[in-house]
Amino acid sequence: MAAPESTIMLTSSDGTDISVERQVAERSILIKNLLADLPGEATTEAIPIPNVNEPVLRKVIEWCDHHKKDPPASAEDDSDSRKKSTDIDEWDQKFMQVDQEMLFEIILAANYLDIKALLDVGCKTVANMIKGKSPDEIRKTFNIQNDFTPEEEDQIRRENEWAEDR
Amino acid sequence: MPTAMPPMPNKDDAHGTWLYLQAGVEKIMVELQEGMDMKTYMGLYTAIHNFCTAQKAVSTGGFSHNRGGAHLLGEELYNHLISYLQNHLAEVHTRSKSHVDEALLTFYIKEWARYTTAGQYNNHLFRYLNRHWVKREMDEGKKNIYDIYTLHLVRWKEDMFMATHNSVMSSVLKLVEKQRNGETIEQSQIRSIVQSFVSLGLDESDSSKTTLDVYKEHFEKPFLEATSEYYKNESKSFVAVNSVVEYMKKAEQRLDEEKERVGLYLLADIMNPLMKACEEVLITAHADTLIEEFQVLLDNDRQADMARMYRLLSRIPSGLDPLRQKFETHVRKEGLAAIDKVAADGDTVEPKIYVEALLDVHTQYKDLVNKAFNGESEFVRSLDNACREFVNRNKVCKSVTTRSPELLARYTDTLLKKSSAKMSEEDDMEKMLGHVMTVFRYIEDKDVFQKFYWKMLAKRLVSGTSASDDAETSMITKLKDACGFEYTNKLQRMFQDMQISKDLNSSYKDWLSTTFDAEDQKGAVEASYQILGTGFWPLNPPTTTLAPPQALIKTYERFQTFYLQKHSGRKLTWLWQYCKGEIKANFTKSQVKTPYTFQVSTYQMAILLLFNDQETLSYEEIEAGTKIGKETLDPSIGVCVKARVLKVNPEGAKPEPGTTYTVNHGFKNKKVKVNLNIVIKPEQKAEADETNRQIEEDRKLLIQSALVRIMKSRKTMQHTMLMTETINQLSSRFQPKVPDIKKCIDVLIEKEYLERLADGTLGYLA
Repeated sequence: MAAPESTIMLTSSDGTDISVERQVAERSILIKNLLADLPGEATTEAIPIPNVNEPVLRKVIEWCDHHKKDPPASAEDDSDSRKKSTDIDEWDQKFMQVDQEMLFEIILAANYLDIKALLDVGCKTVANMIKGKSPDEIRKTFNIQNDFTPEEEDQIRRENEWAEDR
Repeated sequence: MPTAMPPMPNKDDAHGTWLYLQAGVEKIMVELQEGMDMKTYMGLYTAIHNFCTAQKAVSTGGFSHNRGGAHLLGEELYNHLISYLQNHLAEVHTRSKSHVDEALLTFYIKEWARYTTAGQYNNHLFRYLNRHWVKREMDEGKKNIYDIYTLHLVRWKEDMFMATHNSVMSSVLKLVEKQRNGETIEQSQIRSIVQSFVSLGLDESDSSKTTLDVYKEHFEKPFLEATSEYYKNESKSFVAVNSVVEYMKKAEQRLDEEKERVGLYLLADIMNPLMKACEEVLITAHADTLIEEFQVLLDNDRQADMARMYRLLSRIPSGLDPLRQKFETHVRKEGLAAIDKVAADGDTVEPKIYVEALLDVHTQYKDLVNKAFNGESEFVRSLDNACREFVNRNKVCKSVTTRSPELLARYTDTLLKKSSAKMSEEDDMEKMLGHVMTVFRYIEDKDVFQKFYWKMLAKRLVSGTSASDDAETSMITKLKDACGFEYTNKLQRMFQDMQISKDLNSSYKDWLSTTFDAEDQKGAVEASYQILGTGFWPLNPPTTTLAPPQALIKTYERFQTFYLQKHSGRKLTWLWQYCKGEIKANFTKSQVKTPYTFQVSTYQMAILLLFNDQETLSYEEIEAGTKIGKETLDPSIGVCVKARVLKVNPEGAKPEPGTTYTVNHGFKNKKVKVNLNIVIKPEQKAEADETNRQIEEDRKLLIQSALVRIMKSRKTMQHTMLMTETINQLSSRFQPKVPDIKKCIDVLIEKEYLERLADGTLGYLA
């Protein structure tokens, strides 16, 4: 086992090397497994991260650094209470105040790097953006083109009438 | 040289992606020890990620196959991996065929290690597939979909294990047999095999759990079968040429070895079935032979071998029962034989010899139970049963069934009497009394013991021959602990009476000195008195009349006056037959410095004091002067004549009218104190008979009162039920005989306590 404060090197998709504390990088299960599987190489060479570019990777590392002391997510954390709640702690809310493109990049990176807690925060942020909005508002928010015919739309509305708030 | 990786595939290209992955997986499978670079590692992971997140693959399923949301990709990769593993393992299996025995084990273990390590890597690389596609499939309850590592195990089980486990296992068993034959083997190989078999126990319903099913079926079962077979053969041939004792050593050693084997390289879980299998062939199969040998071991007192036999047979169900039976029979036989030996000279067996014979047998086998049979309670019970048998029903008890308690009481008496004071060291005494209690517990007729003990205690107290108060108290306490307060009530009261008498004597002395002047006191006889409560002492009024000598009359009348002042309304009965005194003889010619002192009974005193007035007296004169009945008078005179205190005229004449007696002035004796108060022998036998008669009477009363007690509470009862209940109630005291109970029932019917009803039922009449 390497000492916890040892640092490793990550290489972003656009070829920038970023030095990271090992403990921080291990928030990513992908990197954690890699370090366990290839203990020799990983401490001497930079780890290529082919799917994440520098700005996003830096952003992800920032989040990991803030959360490096969090207890590792256990199976129990998968329970409904956490899934259902859309509460996000203050620091994470601030962290997520980025443009939409960046937000989606972070979510994709979290999914790729296997950082469950960050993926959750990202998805919750998106969920909160949808919450309480009409379909048209949502389309506007995410810049989605309406590809339903009026007939289709009408049918869907009728099928979901029971869920309306009236 | 590591194989070069193909270029990264296009994320939408399923075929290309798999070609890329296959190259990576192959690298991991066969070249892992040569190392792996991070680029490849990340490449493989990324390729899977990219493939699974590709938009285009929607076409494979389409919306018709809507799974309540996004369609997840991965099935193709998963299926490709399966066929890759199948091919890979088929090749491994083919190679395995060229190996046998230990080489096969080495090959299997090596391949297993390589394969499972690769499985771990693949599991990490395919993690994205695990997290999404596999998880979704499993959440939807699809069968036969596993996470990637489990998939590796499943494939191994199907494509490798199923085809090889028989030959692997037979190699394992050959190895174990070698070790059992005393050779050294590579134990770690077997341990690895066990671990790999255990790993293959997959829980169909929950892949995160493992079961021992595979291991139990393919390892434990054949292992146990081979073990049974091996020891069946070994024990058979060993017994054929060796003694049973040798065999037991061998069996024990083998059992220990097998136990140790579990710790060395087997799964702890196998302990119970393995031990059971070994016990079955090593012990149960030979149990009859062992049990047969037990009698020989008993006869020769082979403790260590018996202990071994006990340990072996205790391991199998009900293996010890025959031993206990044999043991019980043997102890009873030994006990009876010991009594036969000491009873050789007929009825007159010494209490000490008798009790010691009983104790010796008990001690010997108690020791055996403790040392060889682990003090096990069932064996203690067998010992108790046997002891109870031979204590109560042996040769000595044959004619008189109550001999055992009587002899025990007599033995206790000799212990507690002053004469045996040599060994009255406190500890010794306690030990001896403890021994008495050991036998006492086996005595069925406890009432007989009580009666004899009571009488003998009375005698010890009255005649002051008790060795120590502490010992007496300790014995009474022991009896009380064993039989309860009621059993020792009288004994304790007797003790109290003695204490009260002591105090009374000293206050009487004070009273004398204040009531009479010195002159008056001079003429009185110095005496001490014991006041004994009538109901608590086994003492009867004298059987003969007596005219007490003048000197005594004055003395006891004074005491009577004193006593009645203190306790008016009480009646004092003088028990002359228990009194004794000392008189000084001033008649002898030989001038010794101190005159002789005779220790005499009251009756002898009365007789001898007559000679103070006359040198010669005729038998009739003595009879008239003392008023003593003939049956007491004759032996009392007889002792005096025998001791040459009196001379008979004519010489050798019987004590009868016409005979005369003269004081023997020439009396000589080596001792200054001469004891003339000798108990006449036939008395003892008569006393025992009398006691037995009393016991019979007491028992009738006890049976009757038990019957009445039971009937009073039940009102009506079946005859047989009443019998059993009565025997139950009384068995702590004695074993009532059925004819006696019947007789008592008849008596009670006659006295109109009970009545006969129909069908052998009895009714209670208030």
